[in-house]
Order: sequence, then C-alpha cells, then structure tokens
Amino acid sequence: MKPRRFIAPSALPWLLLAAIYFLVPLIATLLFSLKSNQTGKCCTVANYSWVIHNGDFWHTLKISFLLALETIVISLLLFVPTIYWVHLKLPKLRPVIAFLALIPFVVPPIVMVVGLLRFFKGSPDWFYAKPWGFLAGAYVILAFPYMFFSLDAGFRSIDVHTLTEASQSLGARWTTTLVKVILPNIRAAALAGSFLTLAIVMGEFTIANLAAFKTFPIFIQLVNETQGFPAGALTLLSFGITWAAMLSLLLVGRKRGARGAIVPATR
Amino acid sequence: MAWLATLPFFAYTILFLFAPAGSVLVGAFQGKTSGYTLENVRTLFHSPYIDAFKTSIEVSFVTALIGAVVGLLVAYAAIRDGTPRWIRSGLTTFSGVAANFGGIPLAFAFIATLGPLGIVTVFFRNRGWDPTAHGISLFTKTGVEITYMYFQLPLMILVIAPAIDGLKREWREASSNLGASQLQFWRFVGIPVLMPSLLGAMILLFGNAFAAYATAYSLTSGTVNLVPILIGAYYSGNVLDNPHLAQAMAFGMFVVLAAMMVVYIPLQRRAARWAK
Amino acid sequence: MEDYEAQEQEFMRKLEELEVSRSQMLKRSLAAAAGLTILSSPGAALAARARGDKNPPLKGRGFSLKEMVAEAKKEGHLNTIALPPDWANYGEVMSTFTKKYGIQITNDNPNGSSAQENEAVRSLKGDSRAPDVVDVSPAFAVSGASEGLYARYFPSTFATIPRAMKDTRGYWYGDYWGAISIGYNQNLVPNPPKTFADLLKSEYKGKVALNGSPLTSGSAIAGVFAAALANGGSVSNVAPGIDWFQKLKQSGNFIPVGTTPQTVASGQTPISIDWDYNNLAYVSEFPAARWKVTIPSDGVYGGYYAQAINKNAPHPWAARLWQEFVYSDQGQILYLKGFAHPARFNDLAKRKKLPKSLLDALPAPSLYAKAKFASLGQQTQAKAVIASQWPAKMGG
Repeated sequence: MKPRRFIAPSALPWLLLAAIYFLVPLIATLLFSLKSNQTGKCCTVANYSWVIHNGDFWHTLKISFLLALETIVISLLLFVPTIYWVHLKLPKLRPVIAFLALIPFVVPPIVMVVGLLRFFKGSPDWFYAKPWGFLAGAYVILAFPYMFFSLDAGFRSIDVHTLTEASQSLGARWTTTLVKVILPNIRAAALAGSFLTLAIVMGEFTIANLAAFKTFPIFIQLVNETQGFPAGALTLLSFGITWAAMLSLLLVGRKRGARGAIVPATR
Repeated sequence: MAWLATLPFFAYTILFLFAPAGSVLVGAFQGKTSGYTLENVRTLFHSPYIDAFKTSIEVSFVTALIGAVVGLLVAYAAIRDGTPRWIRSGLTTFSGVAANFGGIPLAFAFIATLGPLGIVTVFFRNRGWDPTAHGISLFTKTGVEITYMYFQLPLMILVIAPAIDGLKREWREASSNLGASQLQFWRFVGIPVLMPSLLGAMILLFGNAFAAYATAYSLTSGTVNLVPILIGAYYSGNVLDNPHLAQAMAFGMFVVLAAMMVVYIPLQRRAARWAK
Repeated sequence: MEDYEAQEQEFMRKLEELEVSRSQMLKRSLAAAAGLTILSSPGAALAARARGDKNPPLKGRGFSLKEMVAEAKKEGHLNTIALPPDWANYGEVMSTFTKKYGIQITNDNPNGSSAQENEAVRSLKGDSRAPDVVDVSPAFAVSGASEGLYARYFPSTFATIPRAMKDTRGYWYGDYWGAISIGYNQNLVPNPPKTFADLLKSEYKGKVALNGSPLTSGSAIAGVFAAALANGGSVSNVAPGIDWFQKLKQSGNFIPVGTTPQTVASGQTPISIDWDYNNLAYVSEFPAARWKVTIPSDGVYGGYYAQAINKNAPHPWAARLWQEFVYSDQGQILYLKGFAHPARFNDLAKRKKLPKSLLDALPAPSLYAKAKFASLGQQTQAKAVIASQWPAKMGG
C-alpha cells in the first residue's frame, strides 16, 4: 500500500465542516468591521485605520508578544526536563503531576491574582511591578496544563528508554541527550504546547487587569467595551497577528528540527 | 535520589500555584467576619449554586465529548496521507489562535452569525424559514455549547496531532496485509493506541470549558447559569460581595475535577496497558 | 493669573458660545482617553514622596489652591481606576485635568467594578501603581470607609453636595447621579416605547437588552429597581421587578446579551435599559444607529456614584487636587456634558451656572422629578432578593 497522492475522500467532509464552522463567524465580524459609523453600511477601512494609528495598539502588542516568548522559554525549560525525567525514572509520579496540572483550571484567575498579589507583596520592584517578573510567573502556571498534556502526549509517542540508553551508550551526557536526542523527537508536542502558551498570553485578561499591567488583551477589552465598529476591526487584526506569530513559531521550530527518524513507541 | 531532579518544578508550583490555591481552600471554610464554618459549602447544595454546577458540568462534558470526537476526525483528516501539507500547517496554526479566542470578540462573532440579526439567521429568514419564530436561539445552553466549540475543537486538534503522528503508516500497511478492514484497524489498533492521549485530551477539554467564563457571560449575561460566572459575581461584582462563598464554589470546582481525575487514572492505566 | 485660572475662564467662555459640537467633544474625549492608558512611569512621583514632603490638608476650603497645585505638580502623576472614557464624560474630565494642571493620569482597568476598585486599593497597598482616587457605588463607598481604605478630605465645595449623597466624616462624597432610561434604535424600532409596560408589546420581540446581569452590574440592578417601581413594587420591594423581567423573557422580547457599544452600533440590541448618561452618550457616538433616549414614565429610579481618596495614595496631593477639580463648577459641568446630573446640580442651578444647551440635551426635568433613590439598607436587601430569585426565574 503506497502513500496516497491525493486527499482521501473520507477526509474531505470533515475538513470542509471545520472550514465552514471556523470561517463563517470571522466573515460575519469582517462584514461588521467594514461598516461606516456614519451610515451603518459598507464599506470603509476607517475602522482598521483607527486601530493601526492607535499608539496603544502597537505598544501593548509588543509587550504581550515579548511576554509570551518569555513564558514559552521558561515553561519549556521547566517542564520538558521534568516530564522527561518522570517518564524515564519516576512513572509513578506522572498521575501526581497530571493532577497538579488540573489545578490551574480550578483556581479562577480572579482568585489566583488576588492570592499572588498578597503573597508577593513585599518582593522587589523589578519582579512585582514589572510584567516580565510577576505576570510571566503567573502565566507559566496558566500554561502548565496545556504544556503538560501536550508534552505528555509527545513523550508517550516516543520510546524514551531506548533513546536514552542508545544516547548514553554512545557516551553522551544527560544534557546532550536531552537537547540533541529527546528534544527533536518531541518537537511537534513542544510546538503545540508553545502555540497554546502564546495564545494564552495573547488572550489573558483577568490577571493582567487586576494586577494593573497594560497588555494587549487589556487594550482589546477596552476597545470592545467603548468602541463600536473598530472593535470588529481589532478582533480580526489581533486574530491575524497572532496567527502570523504562530506561523513564525512553526518556521523557527521547523528550521531547527531534526532530520532524524522518530523512534516509534513499540516494545 | 531520582526525584531531586524534579525539585525546580515543585519549587515553582509551590510558589505560584499552591499559594493562591491554598488561600482558596482555606477561605472556602471561613466565615464572612471571622472563624471557620461549613456554612459556605452547605449553601452550595441549594439553588442556584447546585444548578450552576449541574449546568457547568453538562456544558463542559458535552463540549469535551463532541470536541474530542470531531477534533480527532478533523485532525486525522488533516494529518493523514494524501492531504496536502499546507492544510495541516494552516489548521494547527489557526487552532493555536482559535484555542484562546474567547470573551466579547467570540460572543460578538457568534451573535453576528447566529443571533437574531446574524448573517446565517437572516439568510434563512430571507428564504422563508425564520429560526427565531421556531424558538431557536443562540442565547441558550445549546448556543453556549456551539460557541464553546470554537475553542474546544482547536484545543483538541492541537493536543491530539502529535499522538496521531505516532500512528505509524506501517501499522496500517501491516493490518491491511493481514486482511483487516479500515474499521477493524481503528477498532483494534488505532483507537487503543490513541486512547490514553484521547482521555488526556478530553480531561483537558473538560477543564478548559469548566473554567471558561468570559464568553458565556458576554453571550448570556449569566442567564445560562455557570459556576465561574457566579464566582465572578461574588468575588468582584458591583452588586454582590461574599468572597468566601466564591471560594467555596472554587472548592466545589476542585472537587469536581478531582472526581474526574479519580475516574481518569484507572481508565488511563487500562488503556496504556497494551503498550507494556 | 495662574495658568489654570486662565484655562478655566476660557473653558467657561467657550461653553457659553458652545462653538464645539457635541459629537466633536465626545470624539476628542475618547481620543484623549485612549492616549491616557499608555504606560507611564510613576518613578518620579515615588521619589518625591521619599523626600519627606509635608502632609496634605484635611479641608480644601481656606487652603491655598496655588500651594496645592504646586505640591501636586511635584508629585507629577495621578492614578485613577475604573473610569471609562465614555461614562459621564470621564474622558474629557481626565484630559481637562491633565491639560489644566500638567499632571499625567494613568487610568487602570477602565471597565472595572466598584468591588475591583476597593480590591485594588487593598492589594496594591504601598505599590506605586495603587489608585489614588476611586469612583464607587454607595455600597462599596460605605464598606470601603468602614474598612479604613479611604482618607478623610472635605473638598472646598463640600457644603453644597446634598446631605443624602455624602459621608459627613469626609470619607466619600457623591459626584454625579443618573436615572434608568430606555434607549432605542430608531431604524429598528419605528414605534418608540415610553414605559416599561410598552416594552412587553409583541412588536419588540427579541429586542430588549440590559447592561449586563443584575448579579454583577450596577446598572442592571438599577434596571430591576426601575422595573419594580413600574410594577407595583418599591425601593424596598424589588420582587415585582424580577417578575417583570421574567415576563419579558417569556414573551420573547428579552435578549440576554449585555449591551456594549458594538451591539448598539450593529443593531443587535435595538432597545437598551441603562443609565441615562450611558444611553445619551450613544446618540452622538453612533449616528448610524439613530439612537434616542427616554425616561420611562412609570418607573423612575435614580442612582449615584461616590468619590473617595485612597488612604495610602501614592500621590496624596494630586488626589486632593483631583477632588477639588471634580467638585469645582468646571468639573461638575463636565459631568453634565456627559449627560449625568452633577451632585451640585441644585447649587449650580441656583447660581444660574448651568448652560441652557447642556440642559436641553437631557430629557425633560419633569421626567426626573419622580426619581426615587434607594437607601443603602434597601440596596443590600434588594441584592439579596435578586441573588436568590434572578437565576431561578431568568435562567435555563
């Protein structure tokens, strides 16, 4: 059975269904965003112009994007070695961590931010008063469930033991094994987790709001609550920008990806 | 001391997770003025709180189940042989964005689509069939579920894609060489291999929907009674002000998710059994 | 004369001529407010505090305004919270303050609730980002005062604020009030509703919306009060109001989506029950929607908001200067421009300081004459009733 050259007929209906479901609401928003405030009818780009010429739009976008990158890096540094280690040596710990990974869902963001603000009240300004400290710290926890379940699925689909043994028998140290052997094999899972983290940071509102930071979602919320037609334009612009960010993450991941074969999880 | 290597992880979670989570668990049992009480938790079993829990659990379960099934089918359709590569890249990156699309923009997009003046509603009305006249409304539990799928489906697609990658083409070949049909492949090879990841994904989807707040509030202003909306009302609303009751509700959410884990762990162990 | 005195004279002169059209004013205030939310650095302000400057006064009256302005300028910054630019013209209030005194404002969490304002005072205590002043509903003003969150201060015009709208110890003071109104889109609602009873008519199917849920939104709970007044209830009995909304829902006229500028602009909420100052602001904001506003004659409910100064304000002089500004004739008239009734309305009317053009923009005074306000006890009671009845009667 050689690989198919064209799309399978049974795949088409599902892809079409997904396309329609995802695109129609965006089209509805687009139609709204092209309406003029004076006449209530199509067509004008004034709403898009309003967003693009707004200084806050670019300023907050930059902050959120950098914050997202910082959160992704910290999350990967923290979670990949840990989950690797658990899969390799401490499988009994896995359900414990899986359980911990559900806790961020249970603590409402409102509760979390109030708790964190009080807990870290005495801490130095470079951490407490800056988004790069306090907010990034909170966002890593928010990303935790998504990172965990993505990475976990990724680690499952490879044979951790074989890979590690092979690498070590060739004389590699732990760090080399992790970076040069394991990481390329869970690339897809790490990327998926990173996508989700990026999306979370670009969309998180409550914690940033109550901790008085000015991030992109704060700007979006303000516009949504005070502007009419420009809000539709902003929705689509932010959608497009985040999508572009995802694509660039994908390209970065692909370039540094391994060309080696993925060792399947059979044994 | 293998567990020492996990120390950074646990240190971090203690600092950033247990601190606020702990304040929730303790606060749930505190009285409005002072002292400890079970009153807050007892109140949870009455209307409207118990109804909120029922609705929340139902909405989360339905969207997790449908999201998992449809998400799997869509992801598989995009990843399998024959489908052009750009469809997969486009779908996964789009899913990355859509998975966190929520709140007012999402609610507005759906009102603009399926609301009383939405483009789909108007489309049908112009052709002679008025959905609103037949009682079909976006502002119901079902409407909320349909809207929730917009971030549940992408989440599923993202999480299950790496697992689908793990389904080797060689297995399809081997199974068809042995005379198995498509259905048999799925029943005896495909689904069992995917099951642990499927279960994990479903739990994630359930938790994701359970904690979602902004979208349902924007869509229905709380007439569809969900737990996070009530928590928001009691914790930071303009009108009500009883943080301990809100914390008790968060504690209730904790119990529900813990119950799900209790179901998940043995199921998951069974599913992963074949791999040993 | 001082810069700010000259500015005030110029403001009053322009007002009389009313050269500037209302929509232009609104656009300007929105634009100014949008620029106000940029991150600014309060570092300089903190340094000023650390130098050990003198304590600000308890009473504004008799204290040299010039000195207060100088001290406030040394602080150089003001933190506000939960002031939407298009709510009671706060956009222009803030931009005028900045232009007049040269003090930058950082407005945090523009659409926050009163509870979030008090919480910010609590959580950010000692932080340079803590709010200096708050604008909260009376229930939270009272609880904030009793919790010790606020500082005592008597703005110079304190005596002319109605007794019922202030705390005599000086912890908080009402700044403006409004009444619940019915706003509607003339394109989609050719037959205007005039009363709550009208709204039940079948021609308004799928058209009537509230500004959020009464469990979280102050204006929604006021809507319930107004409905109660129109249906045999009173400020101490809101259950008839909840019943009326249930009837509205059962008739299919009620849509649960909360009103936002988007829903008004797009016509998705053709009729909105909201504070008059919010509904009236939409008129010039969205010309395509041809929005019109009326006060329902069968149920007139009024509500006010209150100013207070954070006891641990990072910029205490700027905070007091802000209050002096808000309660000056100029500040109060700016609220009127935003279609809200300033607290010192009666005093200003007596001294004939209210421009006729602004008064004409509001619905007729006769409609407001019947306005009823609920006391704090009545509000607390109503909240409890709503909490227990609203989810059951309106849910599902």
